[in-house]
Amino acid sequence: MRLRGVPGPALVLALLCALATAINPAFLSPRNLTDLMLAAAPTLIAACGLMLVVASGEIDISIGSLLGLCAAVAGTLSSPDRLGLPPSLAVAATLALGLGVGLLNGVLVSLVRVPSIIVTLGMLSVLKGANELLMGGKWITRLPDGLRAWGTGSVLGVPVPIAACAAVVALTWLLANRTAWGRRVFAVGSNADSARLAGIPVGRTKLAAFGLAGLLVALATLVSVPRLSLVDSGVGVGFELLVVTCVVVGGVSIRGGTGTILGVVLGVLLLSSVRTVLIFLQLGESSLYWERAIQGALILAAVMGDAAGRRREARA
Amino acid sequence: MRRLIATHEAGLAALLAALLVAAWRTDPAFVSWRVQSGLLPQIGETALLAVPMTLIVITGGIDLSVGSVMALASVLFGLGFRSGWPVEACAAAALAAGLLCGALNGWFVTRFRVHPLIVTLGTMSAFRGLAEGVSAARPVSGFPDTFLRIGQGWTAVGLFAALTLAGTAVLARHVLGRRIYGIGLGESAARASGWNVDRLKASLYAFSGLMAGVAGVLFTARRNTAKADVGAGIELEVVTAVVLGGTSIFGGRGTLVGTALGLAVLHEVRQFVGWRWSNDVLNLVVVGALLIGAVTLNGVISRRPAGSVEGG
Repeated sequence: MRLRGVPGPALVLALLCALATAINPAFLSPRNLTDLMLAAAPTLIAACGLMLVVASGEIDISIGSLLGLCAAVAGTLSSPDRLGLPPSLAVAATLALGLGVGLLNGVLVSLVRVPSIIVTLGMLSVLKGANELLMGGKWITRLPDGLRAWGTGSVLGVPVPIAACAAVVALTWLLANRTAWGRRVFAVGSNADSARLAGIPVGRTKLAAFGLAGLLVALATLVSVPRLSLVDSGVGVGFELLVVTCVVVGGVSIRGGTGTILGVVLGVLLLSSVRTVLIFLQLGESSLYWERAIQGALILAAVMGDAAGRRREARA
Repeated sequence: MRRLIATHEAGLAALLAALLVAAWRTDPAFVSWRVQSGLLPQIGETALLAVPMTLIVITGGIDLSVGSVMALASVLFGLGFRSGWPVEACAAAALAAGLLCGALNGWFVTRFRVHPLIVTLGTMSAFRGLAEGVSAARPVSGFPDTFLRIGQGWTAVGLFAALTLAGTAVLARHVLGRRIYGIGLGESAARASGWNVDRLKASLYAFSGLMAGVAGVLFTARRNTAKADVGAGIELEVVTAVVLGGTSIFGGRGTLVGTALGLAVLHEVRQFVGWRWSNDVLNLVVVGALLIGAVTLNGVISRRPAGSVEGG
């Protein structure tokens, strides 16, 4: 049970990597692996937050739009073409925005009791609209170096996105497995009524999960968007689906109550490596158009694996 | 229960009337028949998909893959046309593909008992990816005028009206309608009553796929282009209209009349904002806020013990 969601994705990931390496050994070069990690880092950061939300029995599909709005706010505040404020202020405002939106989702879900899929579906529209109003149909082309350092700089020789991602994974693991709040998240997700009877503050537990998820999306924005020197209003479109896919492939049950960080890490690595593997297999340019089909097939495979696992559990 | 739903529908109708009056006072031309009838086809595909979506949501499910099925149908239509098939054969292939996609959703949902949200999230990627893969993201256009004409008119809206009438009768009067509400109110109870729950659910997903195939063909005719990004994001629009129309996302409650009103509110808000400020940015905010507001109100009103199985 503790290994839920780990063996399947690990096996597929290992197979994919072996295949790509067999055709082109450069797949395992440090440079390629670093690129892979850089591409996976923002997804993994956001997936850690979403995992806790899903484990608590809820869902957040506003994260793609939130990523876009965070990018627009960070760019608008700091770019010399727009407001030109100090980058540290833009960073603080972006993180505050992520936290604020996450908490707002959480309040609507836990206090007003609107289903989370509806709240975050509405929020997806609202944030996307706010993003486009803010961008005004133009691109933000010049980001100050102070902001770009979040995406392109390095700490002790490790690129900032990878370092931040590692820290988030470690912290999420600690939160989920070594704190009372983490235990409560899983308790609330597996049965909210029993959790309430056991004296667990269900609403506050969920509220904190949503707040954390929003904050982590803001962090994911900071380490991904400044890597390119350009922000447009298409940033983050479809990101929510990618992250939900990673979390589900990683074995987190959409019914809540279960899920492991290791599974989520594997899910993200698997989904992020599909594209690179397709490139390394050298099937020609048109093969890249199949990326989404492969991602969808991975979800369906995870679904079937999950069903098989539940049948085994039921028999045991 | 019946009165509660009537309240929600009356509220929506009042909102719609208020919207139209406000629009008429700012700009009388917008409310004219000529403008309204010109704008109506734009909600056609969304409306068509909203009928099966309402039924699926009433059973407690959801189908997120409808936009991707539209794309796959559109792309197959285009590929068939490019290889010289007659338009009728292309359309038949597109509809068959839609039905097959829907049947696959139904099979996954009922065979593996996995939440439809996850199944259709997976097939949403898979079908869209398939459309991108087989078309290599290249569009096809240049269809004959006779075909384009069915997209310009009111085909989709007319089909929607017919389906809404038939569906309303089934939901209110037919045993199938009882069962659809029954599954949403308690699936295990429905199974225990000896109903073939799986077959009914699977048929609803297949119906949804078929309608997405129809919507894909009609969209292709309306825009004179068949490509893989057709219908992107339409699933959220459809779910918004359905939920705005008072259907509970947890199942067991909802009507097609409510959905029609939800569609009308969504359509008028969007068109008016687009008309008045000539951008469709602000309306994303308005539509999202409308959705959250409606569901919040609906949740506050309906937070009382469900007393009866009265659905219609």
